[in-house]
Amino acid sequence: MSAGDVLILNEVSKAYDGRVSMLDRLFGRKAKSLQAVREVSFSIRKGEVMGLVGESGCGKSTIARIAAGLMAPTGGEIGHPGRLRQQMIFQDPFSSLNPRWRVHDIVAEPIRTHGLRPKQEVSARVAELLTQVGLSEADGAKFPQAFSGGQRQRISIARALAGEPDFLILDEPTSALDVSVQAQILDLLRDLQARLNLTSLFITHNLPVVRLMADRIGVVYLGELVELAPTSAIFEHPRHPYTRLLIDAAPDLDAEDRSLHPIPGELPDPSDPPSGCVFRTRCLFATDRCASERPKLRKIGPGEVRCHYDLDLTGRELVA
Amino acid sequence: MTAPLLEVRDLSVTLARGGDELPVLDKVSFDIAPGEVLGVVGESGAGKSMAGVAIIDLLVPPLRRSGGTITLGGERLDLLTPRQMRRVRGKRIGFVFQDPMTSLNPVLTIGRQLTDTMRRHLPLSRNEARERAIAWLTRTGLPNPARVFAAAPHELSGGQRQRVVIALALCAEPDLVIADEPTTALDVSVQAHMLQLLRDLHEETGTAMMLITHDLGVIAKMADRVAVFYAGRLIETARTEMLIARPLHPYTAGLMQATPALDAAGVMRVKAIPGSMPGLGATPPGCAFHPRCNRSRDLCRQVTPPLADAGGHAAACHFPLRQEVA
Repeated sequence: MSAGDVLILNEVSKAYDGRVSMLDRLFGRKAKSLQAVREVSFSIRKGEVMGLVGESGCGKSTIARIAAGLMAPTGGEIGHPGRLRQQMIFQDPFSSLNPRWRVHDIVAEPIRTHGLRPKQEVSARVAELLTQVGLSEADGAKFPQAFSGGQRQRISIARALAGEPDFLILDEPTSALDVSVQAQILDLLRDLQARLNLTSLFITHNLPVVRLMADRIGVVYLGELVELAPTSAIFEHPRHPYTRLLIDAAPDLDAEDRSLHPIPGELPDPSDPPSGCVFRTRCLFATDRCASERPKLRKIGPGEVRCHYDLDLTGRELVA
Repeated sequence: MTAPLLEVRDLSVTLARGGDELPVLDKVSFDIAPGEVLGVVGESGAGKSMAGVAIIDLLVPPLRRSGGTITLGGERLDLLTPRQMRRVRGKRIGFVFQDPMTSLNPVLTIGRQLTDTMRRHLPLSRNEARERAIAWLTRTGLPNPARVFAAAPHELSGGQRQRVVIALALCAEPDLVIADEPTTALDVSVQAHMLQLLRDLHEETGTAMMLITHDLGVIAKMADRVAVFYAGRLIETARTEMLIARPLHPYTAGLMQATPALDAAGVMRVKAIPGSMPGLGATPPGCAFHPRCNRSRDLCRQVTPPLADAGGHAAACHFPLRQEVA
């Protein structure tokens, strides 16, 4: 942790207590608690894009919500040294914009709420923001339903930038979009990133997208951060078997090599996670130690990994 | 070349809206050979799913088939009565949809659904159907097939349900399986399993497949041939390796460049196509892609280019890309 950190998560956990219905109580069933996030630690430096990848239900969105302060952790702490103004961009541009508000008012709201501009300058600032995200000033008079998914996501971005955030959280911002539109939004975000020196947390299940966008990547599996390293290290020298398998699992555009690389096994029940290492039930290298002892997140090379062993997984295809 | 299993000619689908008939599919023609995997790719609204639904005659108003012929193994499907068509669906054409729950009855056990499907289409006794159902569940790689046989859909995970749906689609031994985004709702680790399963079963049974997806990666791994859809039209078709190595249509090339990937220097890159696909009823005159195309000229704005075949590689473009694409 250094002075340049914008956000620090220290051993953050989130557990949900299961609800017990009357019927369950009659049968004497106990509540099942669910550990959605377990002892996740990382910090984000100023000007950095930190990516979080993982499959659905792994806890990456819960981490985002905790980082955004929308949800309190049940363990550990979050710190933000200094002033922190944050904004969030969500996956679904259809539910995240109020259909009864004109675009101008949607974008103006954070400016008014935070009193960022004198009243008479708000309209000019909204026009500037709309232009910045590739829309026009005239679009401000329309309602969100007049726009396509990609354009709505531009409105969400304009609204987020209107709050002049120190820190931006993007939760699957392009997952609902078609490929050609996704590329436009990724281009826009990269451009804004470079021009405004934004600090952000970028959450996605899409590895090529996070590889394009992030400086550093955290890989999440079953509520745990299993690996954290600079983007090039994650892809060129993955240290955790899950990272390697995840990279190989997505089909690429090579039509000559048609091999598929499924990750062996199935995701365990999150309310009954394996003992020791959470990934051991699907890991080709698992030993007795992995069942009895939970690995710590430890430094290795330029990153950190939650694995007992120093595995060299470079360029290696793990075949079950 | 053997006779095609499925021949689709000038298939048109329209959507009725306020007295207008808006074109959803505009004279689309393609073939699928026996045992072939045709990948159908395009963005949402391009009409790729409509083509699949129109073939099995499951369009519901305001959508309707407004023209064209569909021939399966020499029989004109477009002339069949709804009652005759019911015997084609499931028996000769199986289908897998994106959301497994659309194909599964939530209140019947998996076993009941499999045996009902098989006994409807195949001359099997109750016991034979049961044995075959368990064999199918085993083939799809489901752990504990006997338990799954007795289970209701909600007791299974998403990946397990999609395996059941694949078993359902194949259990009556159809000649053709239409799979519409079969892996889109699934996580990447489950997706690869499902593609492997589809491929294994395809190789075992020799069934032909129409694989509809927006994911070029899935196409690259699975399809023998590709058909690219844009704004209700088929704009390019070729063998998969050919199409990916040397697309002729600027939209196909643009779609590939818009997919984040490593370039030759090992750097991630993405190149956006400006604008967006025209909405229903807003298709511009001439080539539907011309407003987004940096190669468009006057001709493109005036005349709709036909799908011109050059040695098994056809593209609907007046000025196709030749060797110049990297």
